[in-house]
Amino acid sequence: MMHAQQIALIGNPNTGKTSLFNSLTGSYEYVGNWSGVTVEKKVGIIKKQLGELIDLPGIYTISPISKDEGVVTDFLLQDSFTDILNIVDASQLKRNLQLTVQLLELGKPMVIGLNMTDVAKLRGIKIDYQCLSSSLGIPVMPIVARTGKGCKDLINYFKENEKKTIHPLTLDYGPVVESAIGRITSLLTAYNVQHKRWMALQILEGNNRILSQIKGFSHLQELEQICSQTESELLNKNIAQTLQQHIHHIREAYIDSLLNSSVSISKQSMPTLTDQVDRIVTHKLLGIPIFLGLMFLMFMLTFDWLGFPLSDLLDAFFTGPLTDAIESFLQVIGASAFIEALVLNGIVSGVGGVLVFIPQIFILFFFLSLLEDSGYMARVAVVMDRLMEGIGLNGKAFIPLIIGFGCNVPGVMAARTIEQPKERMLTIMLTPFMSCSARLPVYALFVGAFFAKYQALVVLSLYLLGIFVALIVAKVMSSTTYKNEKSLFIMELPPYRLPQVRTLWRSTWEKGKGFIRKAGTYIFGGSVLIWFLSYAGPSGFAVDMNDSFLALIGGLIAPILIPLGFGTWQAAASLLTGFLAKEVVVATMSIIYFVPEAQLQGFMVEQFSPLSAYGFMVFVLLYVPCLATVAVIKKESHSKKWMFLSIAYGLSIAYILVLIIYQVGKLVGLA
Amino acid sequence: MNLTELAQGEKAHVRDFSAVSKIVQRRLVQLGVKENEEICLKRKLPFGGPCMIETCGLCISIRLDEAMRIEVRK
Ligand SMILES: Nc1nc2c(ncn2[C@@H]2O[C@H](COP(=O)(O)OP(=O)(O)OP(=O)(O)O)[C@@H](O)[C@H]2O)c(=O)[nH]1
Ligand SMILES: [Mg+2]
Repeated sequence: MMHAQQIALIGNPNTGKTSLFNSLTGSYEYVGNWSGVTVEKKVGIIKKQLGELIDLPGIYTISPISKDEGVVTDFLLQDSFTDILNIVDASQLKRNLQLTVQLLELGKPMVIGLNMTDVAKLRGIKIDYQCLSSSLGIPVMPIVARTGKGCKDLINYFKENEKKTIHPLTLDYGPVVESAIGRITSLLTAYNVQHKRWMALQILEGNNRILSQIKGFSHLQELEQICSQTESELLNKNIAQTLQQHIHHIREAYIDSLLNSSVSISKQSMPTLTDQVDRIVTHKLLGIPIFLGLMFLMFMLTFDWLGFPLSDLLDAFFTGPLTDAIESFLQVIGASAFIEALVLNGIVSGVGGVLVFIPQIFILFFFLSLLEDSGYMARVAVVMDRLMEGIGLNGKAFIPLIIGFGCNVPGVMAARTIEQPKERMLTIMLTPFMSCSARLPVYALFVGAFFAKYQALVVLSLYLLGIFVALIVAKVMSSTTYKNEKSLFIMELPPYRLPQVRTLWRSTWEKGKGFIRKAGTYIFGGSVLIWFLSYAGPSGFAVDMNDSFLALIGGLIAPILIPLGFGTWQAAASLLTGFLAKEVVVATMSIIYFVPEAQLQGFMVEQFSPLSAYGFMVFVLLYVPCLATVAVIKKESHSKKWMFLSIAYGLSIAYILVLIIYQVGKLVGLA
Repeated sequence: MNLTELAQGEKAHVRDFSAVSKIVQRRLVQLGVKENEEICLKRKLPFGGPCMIETCGLCISIRLDEAMRIEVRK
């Protein structure tokens, strides 16, 4: 259905656009307290079917530097929309209004959602909304996006839907620039483009992206000439250093005159909580130890103190009362032996084998959400920058890596905010080495069986190993493939915000939901298939599992895995299925090892030694990105080459590393 | 003098930052850094790591070598 209104949310990064999107549409998109959380366009329907709301990445100006910013430029020029809802951070008016001016110059119907009014109030900033609105000539609505305050008024505004036509704002940029604008607009008359003055200004500001939007544009050289002439004229006449700065200044003068009449600041702020916290977490010496300490705490809680006992309880419930109940139900309805085997040995052990790890996964997600929503994420980037610089990356690349701990797919997407194309590609390639939550069930299963005493430490070692391998790969790639591009780093540090219980819960739940959904689809389907392959064989149905198709397939690969210490068909078959989604490894193992009455862990001890179990976990950590990650790598890199490379890298690194671990371990007598 | 010569927590005014690399320079302008604007060096991280600066009520982190190219006057 086409909606009458399509409202685009545009504003600076980290001003609460997505928070507002969530509260107006009742949906949930990713919210976090750093710049660059949203990296793609998302469309939602405003409550009561008022129209479409389009959430976009944050931008400072319409000239894009990074890929996520380019999404907005393209949107403004290509997509159709009826209104702009410009989100402005009330506590940072001066900077935010720079974008507002550019949008006003475009001349589309527009409303300002003045967000973070609670923060502005705390800082003693008093804003006369009426005055601001009448000087700008568009409505200004104060809101607090995260509590939903003021959202009603916004909805009412869009309901009334009586739109005035808006005249584009025209500022006087001084004789030098105005004459350049004149020359560019006359060049543009040859093409079928709208908003010529706006385009001319954007081109002067260095917005190359919009040129690619003009079909058959052939005056590139003239344009470049005009720009460089204008720039040197500004410099010669001592007006400004660069064109971009000059345009910025003119807009700023206009903004200052606006703010003079509508804003008053009552008190000078004292050292804020943010300053005090920063003094500790970005401390000269303690910065990195504090980060590692927090990670350690997260692992202890997830695997040891809290998550493990909860998972155990759930497991007891699944294998005990639940299995019994299903079994008696199947008997009551008189299900055939085939169905009974399918349900109990296939679905319940396969899907259940993965679902028991829900508590651990939710605890992990809770901590990741806490990290994202507090503002600490940006500090981690700063603290890690020196280390990352050493391997040809920058601290910002650490954010996708941390997001990758939850799931590699959003991690790969998050790399869009990295300015340099080289660093972005590298980050995309590294993210699959981050141990995502889907690998967690595999670890939990194995550490439970082999390393009961040191669970958290063993798992922590795997996470660190993933990071370590990623850093080595980055170092190798950046000193071979891309030697010439300079690494850059600039990061905005937002003030800390105490996460709200509601937001935290929502963001944990949304991540966890994906896991449960996967259990219902991939893992369910995978379990049925695997069970069937283990039930059927060349000689018919209900064969001994060692003669099943699954054993046959696994047996083909098993010999290659012998030097790694787990050359059994069972291990090979589980690894094979893990490409679908890493949790399926556990589902497969639960099915394979559950068929005889033997206890799973007892059975596993026969097939693995602690050393080969560790090797197996390392292999699962590194071997191939899952199907969804492979797909997103292809999409984000626009190339099959990188996709295949990521698979090949993973497989060979996993093989070599595990080979070393196992063979060296055997030599020193660990086997 | 350049920005990194300030003591921690010391304030100064930006004189010139045209030597900063192009992309970082563009971002700095977007974030509100400009000539004559007050700027404060909040912290330098060890081992030649990045430094944190504050301007217009906003905290930004850039690398030391870029900060050295920002000329300031007290
Ligand atoms: N105090 C306060 N915090 C808010 C308000 N609105 C949003 N936040 C917080 O600000 C942070 C950023 O919110 P987002 O909705 O992710 O911001 P965004 O504009 O979508 O950010 P990007 O996608 O990075 O451009 C989150 O931590 C929110 O909880 C508000 O009105 N008041
Ligand atoms: Mg967002």
